Amino acid sequence: MNRFHKYFSILAGTLFLSACTKTDVPVENELTPANILTTDAQFILAAGPAYTSLRGSYCNSYWQMQTLSTDEAILPSRAGGWYDGGRYQQMHYHNWTPDNPLVADTWTWGFSTISTCNRILDLFATSGDSPASTRAAAEIRTLRALMFYFMMDTYGNIPVPTSFGDTTKPARKSRTEVFNFIESEIKAVLPFLGSATDMTQYGRPNTFTAYTLLAKLYLNADVYTGKPRYNEVVTYCDSIIQSGKYSLATDFAKMFYPDNGPQMTEFIFAIPYDHAIAQGEQFNWYSLHPALQQKYGLSYRLSNPVSTIPSYYAQFDDSSDVRSSLWLTGKQYDFSGSPIIINTTRVGLDNTYSGSDGSTTVDYQLTFTPDVTLRDVAKFEAGGDELGKAKGFRNLKYYPDATATDRNQSNDVPIFRYADILLMKAEAILRGAGPTYNATALSLVNQLRTTRKAAPLSALSLDGMLKERALELNWENTRRIDLIRFGKYEDSWGYKTDVDPNKRIFPVPSGELILNPTLTQNPGY
Amino acid sequence: MILAAIPGLYAQGPGKKATIRFRHASLRQAFTEVEKQFGLNFSYNEANIALYDKDINFLLKDATAGQVLDKIFAGSPLTWTLKGSLVVLTADPNYQKKPGAAHAASETITGSITDSETGEPLSGVTVSAGDRTVLTAMDGGYSLPLPAGSYSMTISHVGYTGRTMHGIEVSATTPTVINLILNKAGADLNEVVVVGYGRQSRKLLTSAISTVQNSEFNQGNFNSPAQLLQGKVAGLSIARSGDPNGVPSIILRGPSTLRPGAAQEPFYVIDEIPGADIRLVSPDDIANIEVLKDASATAIYGTRASNGVIMITTRKGRQAQTLVNYNSYVSMENVARRIHMMSATQLKAYLARNNLALDPSDDQGADTDWQDAITQTAVSMNHHVSLSGGSNNFTYNAAVNYFNSKGILKNTGLNRLIGRAGIEQRVLNNHLKLGMSVSTSTSNSDLLPDQSIVLYNMLRYLPTVPVKKGDGTYTENLQRVQYYNPVSLQNNAWQKLKNKTILLNGTAQVTLPLGFKYDLNLISQSGQDNSGTYYTSQYTLKTGTNGQAYRSSYESSKKMLETFLTYAQRAGDHDINVLGGYSWQEDVTGDGFQASNQNFPTDALGYTNIGLGSPIGNYRNDWGPNQYQKLRLISFYTRAKYSFRDRYLLQVSLRRDASSAFGANNRWATFPSASFAWRVIDESFLKSHSLFSDLKWRIGYGITGNSLGFDPLISKVQYTSVGAFYYNGTFVNAIGPSQNANPDLKWEKTAMFNTGVDLALLKGRVKASIEYYDKKTSDLIWYYPVSTIQYFVSTYTANVGSISNKGFELTIDASPVRNASFQWVSSLSLAHNKNKLVSLSNNIFKLDSIFEASPGGQGQTGSYVQIIKSGKPVGQFFTFSYAGRNAAGVSQFYDATDKITLAPRNFMDYRYAGNAQPKLQVGWGNTLTYKSFDLNIFVRTSLGAKVMDATLADLNRPVEVTNYNLPVFSTNESTKDISAYIYSNRYVEDASYLRLDNVTLGYSFPSLFKGMRGLRIYVSGNNLAILTGYRGIDPEVSLSGLTPPSGLTPGVDNKDYYPRTRAFLVGLNLDF
Repeated sequence: MNRFHKYFSILAGTLFLSACTKTDVPVENELTPANILTTDAQFILAAGPAYTSLRGSYCNSYWQMQTLSTDEAILPSRAGGWYDGGRYQQMHYHNWTPDNPLVADTWTWGFSTISTCNRILDLFATSGDSPASTRAAAEIRTLRALMFYFMMDTYGNIPVPTSFGDTTKPARKSRTEVFNFIESEIKAVLPFLGSATDMTQYGRPNTFTAYTLLAKLYLNADVYTGKPRYNEVVTYCDSIIQSGKYSLATDFAKMFYPDNGPQMTEFIFAIPYDHAIAQGEQFNWYSLHPALQQKYGLSYRLSNPVSTIPSYYAQFDDSSDVRSSLWLTGKQYDFSGSPIIINTTRVGLDNTYSGSDGSTTVDYQLTFTPDVTLRDVAKFEAGGDELGKAKGFRNLKYYPDATATDRNQSNDVPIFRYADILLMKAEAILRGAGPTYNATALSLVNQLRTTRKAAPLSALSLDGMLKERALELNWENTRRIDLIRFGKYEDSWGYKTDVDPNKRIFPVPSGELILNPTLTQNPGY
Repeated sequence: MILAAIPGLYAQGPGKKATIRFRHASLRQAFTEVEKQFGLNFSYNEANIALYDKDINFLLKDATAGQVLDKIFAGSPLTWTLKGSLVVLTADPNYQKKPGAAHAASETITGSITDSETGEPLSGVTVSAGDRTVLTAMDGGYSLPLPAGSYSMTISHVGYTGRTMHGIEVSATTPTVINLILNKAGADLNEVVVVGYGRQSRKLLTSAISTVQNSEFNQGNFNSPAQLLQGKVAGLSIARSGDPNGVPSIILRGPSTLRPGAAQEPFYVIDEIPGADIRLVSPDDIANIEVLKDASATAIYGTRASNGVIMITTRKGRQAQTLVNYNSYVSMENVARRIHMMSATQLKAYLARNNLALDPSDDQGADTDWQDAITQTAVSMNHHVSLSGGSNNFTYNAAVNYFNSKGILKNTGLNRLIGRAGIEQRVLNNHLKLGMSVSTSTSNSDLLPDQSIVLYNMLRYLPTVPVKKGDGTYTENLQRVQYYNPVSLQNNAWQKLKNKTILLNGTAQVTLPLGFKYDLNLISQSGQDNSGTYYTSQYTLKTGTNGQAYRSSYESSKKMLETFLTYAQRAGDHDINVLGGYSWQEDVTGDGFQASNQNFPTDALGYTNIGLGSPIGNYRNDWGPNQYQKLRLISFYTRAKYSFRDRYLLQVSLRRDASSAFGANNRWATFPSASFAWRVIDESFLKSHSLFSDLKWRIGYGITGNSLGFDPLISKVQYTSVGAFYYNGTFVNAIGPSQNANPDLKWEKTAMFNTGVDLALLKGRVKASIEYYDKKTSDLIWYYPVSTIQYFVSTYTANVGSISNKGFELTIDASPVRNASFQWVSSLSLAHNKNKLVSLSNNIFKLDSIFEASPGGQGQTGSYVQIIKSGKPVGQFFTFSYAGRNAAGVSQFYDATDKITLAPRNFMDYRYAGNAQPKLQVGWGNTLTYKSFDLNIFVRTSLGAKVMDATLADLNRPVEVTNYNLPVFSTNESTKDISAYIYSNRYVEDASYLRLDNVTLGYSFPSLFKGMRGLRIYVSGNNLAILTGYRGIDPEVSLSGLTPPSGLTPGVDNKDYYPRTRAFLVGLNLDF
């Protein structure tokens, strides 16, 4: 009995001590990496963060860097609004610094998407080989290759991390090495990608996404590596054209409506946006004048900062071309034909007005004027009066979404589109690749122009090629690399006069240099 | 000589009055009565009182103690003086002594010791003087034979508060008789300090602890006990706006963390319950508050103690004393200070002068004062009823408090009902004490959604338009940036938040043989937060939703076990007290969910029938963040105190804490402390000095931790919904990591050295404490930027860097005038702190500085105004340097090379521009009592702090004068100044101020009927005047910074300041 008591007390004491010092609290409400992945659907769901990450800045900081640094668009401040430390004016003047927040945001967006892809691939690697995991991994590797492409295109030499959680800081690789890596990655995963083009695949890369990415890579190979590879552009464009899975849209405008989606025959790879649950596309908030809110039935205030530059708009000279109609220019009317009137005063209209009757009421019809003249060049200030607010023509490619309750729209945004396949093939042939399937550069461009109701061209020059791309692909993140490839990035437009070719590559953000001392800054910064 | 001391009655007010009637009373009977009525003790020589030879016969109504004493001693050879609560009687030396009045006796001290509550004699009490120690006999009597001389005498007894008396003269000619009454430990709050897991005589403290008594509390319409202390405790900074639902921001001895919010907060211990919800006590329930400031005091609370510990002791029942008390006030509050915006007339004059005009839609002939339109005079009230009492072994207390505070912003307010009850029973011949208590609190808050936008627009909405148009709808112009009719916002959305908190507490204390005592404390606290928010179909910030509703319900719970064993023994000159304990705690928070809906058929029902909505399109229910979290804390602690002759005092403590929140590799940590005090006054070489009546030197060092302010899963990878993505025709939620794991994460560690001197001069008329501390916090927890190439997300919670705070504190309490009818008590607290960030790096992460505080005004996205940099204090302003306007009227700035530029570059052209830390903070309170009147005047001042007035900067947009109203400040600004609003040192203002914080005038009535013990009525004014050069609403802005903050950014006034109020109170205290 005594012995029993002794053992019992030792046991009880041990139990008490272990219970009273136990600090492990089970996590009861969070998912853990231990979740088993088996079905196709589960793999795709696990891959989801890569797609939400991709959506994040594609239409924001990335678009701003790719577009505001060209003649396609300008974002002046008006009465001080949108000055924001000069981040947008630096894009226009080509005098951006490594501290520019757009430079940092885009870097963070790109590499955290790449990192997310790496993490997902690590997760997939732990769940064994199966057709589902192989295909899901191939999609994520394609997406990662696309992000490496964006980053290499924007920042030149970049780090190429391919595994997650490695705390050694990756050094930069040369543009050519990155180019070769992207090329080999896509070719490695091509056999495992699906070729469906319907809604089961919409929003995720398929074989044709991979072909397009290769074609883009080769079209710009001369810029990236110094070695042109135009024949391969034609090869991969043909893989898409000959598949017969895509065709030019019969209604160009509707392709960009808020209800666009998998039914768009031109979309090879697009980002699906939704104003409520998949947010990030706000083009109209940037482009439209507040007085247009009622006309388009919008329930949010329009901010109005972005216009195009007259020399760019001047290319839309064919009024029968449907692509010319997607701009707001000159006097504005509502759908019933009544003028859009702003009730103001003479000084409210023009605050430089010096007459003594400045407070006299004026009914001003909203009239977009082509020139974005600056009142104060140092502050990139276009003026906060009604005339200032109406400066610059506005893009209306992504039609306003009247169902939106805030500035986010539901229009899906294409990353790769069939029209670009035709244009890339045409340009490659124009630059010396062998024509295939009886198509010449001119016939390909005219095929597109005819569909867009533009007069066919009788001859095609490189300038004509660039112009056609502007007509077709504005607001689609391609103008910057196009200008570079055509040698026109150092031209002057608007108030920009910079001719430094170092600006073809953006700087490494200053914060990244602090976080990763193995990185080196690009020349000229 | 006989010295009798009877404890003061519980919580005597400064103007205590009583009605006294003597009929043929002896002097001793009179003493008893005065002691009872006024809580005074008498000190006298037996020989002298023999000189008093008359009966006492009088009736005095509504008399102060002074009046009564004057009456008793008028015409006698004795005169009285008041020293603290001691009435010292002296005889006129010229008076002819009666023969036989003084007769020789043996050289002894004799007397008897009795219990203060029961009056029973106490046996076995240790009485020592010189080298002699005796125990009292069954009748409580003792006799201590001693050679002639001057002695300090110490009386101690288990369960009672010990007493020490100095300067007791033993001579052959005079018998020395000392009869004493002992208080049960803790009963006499004037002497005993709650130190955490026990109590201690203030005299024997070795650490820096400030006590604020109930009678010294700030008077006002307060929702948090912290406000009772504002300005009262040197080194404790408290800032609060006028928001009735606002939580004051508190910092003790300078910022010692880089995290804002809860990480800054001191740790609250209410009636020995660590971490109890402060909503459970109303100010009237509180007997006193102790602030544990230095590490040697706080280290016993280990990981939660870095920001100091605030110990709240509530009122308890006492044996044989039935008390009923009713306290009430009504207050009226209005806006104390406003930003002077232009009136319609001023605005039009400005426009005309600059040849500008308003748009016709903006020029409607109105002159609306929008600040007036959304504010109101707020009437608030508080009622508190308490009863307490007890019989032999049983005490009870119960109280109910109702608090209803309206906000000065219309539609805001808070009402709270608190109920408390406690009982305590002694059984087993006083060897076991059992206690139970329950506290409940129900709070209803009325909040304004988007309050900061309302506050911004109340300033800048154009005065020339009316609140409502002729057709009854609100004036709106939704084409401008962040421009919304504030009255419409205020009336078209509401949030109601209901909190219920219940605390159950059971205690047991066993007195064991051999000086041991065992305490067990079981605590269960649960809380329920229910919230409903509704935005009507007219709400201009939610256009297109046609009514939007949110409801949420979250529960929280806290379970705690505290158990400790105390050993106390006194043997001769040695006094030992050793404590060992264990505590276990488990907290669950966020147990609940949220739901949302939109598109309601009517706004009439608000959120109350959330199922009526018909959401449009791809609308998704907003389930809110899933915050279910469980935290476990486990601790072992020990403390040992040793004192030699109550003169050399030594204390060491050690706490070992574990928290499940920390990385698996660093769950446990040890927090030691040691302190020493020397009661210099008791040394013989000071005996002959008459300058000091108390002198003590303290020195201590200890380490504490800080883990407050983040969720329990901080060290683990967390997965959340990272947004929806398209999959096969629908949008589905993508699940991804939202936080990096850091298995090495551990506590912030604060090491503090503290030394202080407590002294009393001029026979206790002046008391002072001086403290010096040197506090160094290392392993700062911070959200370190990392590259997403290696990590899931771009911030990594890690221990990096260190921060230093050094400072002085001075507290002086003085009674410059103290006579029968007039007393003046003055207290001054003064604190200086020097803060410096030492480093931001550890062995993995290296960073010299980081930009913080981005007020984000229109056109200034990405501008920062502060820098966190090694060598600089927290709150270091780093912004552009203003260089005046050029000929064209446009603001210019200096660039990095001192050249003038119109377009300064972010980061590159920033310069240092002062910091937000005050150099000196002073609180000065004065209580004047004249006959039945008492007057309290409290003044606070803060010197040397700077504030970035981002509000003024963002309002100063003369270029947009036709769109937004301007402050009167802008009258001479140029309408060409496109850069007027740019944050620069032009808006970094001196935030020094002198504030007349409180004036209270009270009058105490005599007993009006039998059974009534006292009635006091008072009027009080809060925040009556402020002297400052600051141009914003109030220079006292949050110590934490911007909301939602990323880091600690004190001193940024950013358009969302809920105006501070000026309040007038009328109140009464009634005692039965």
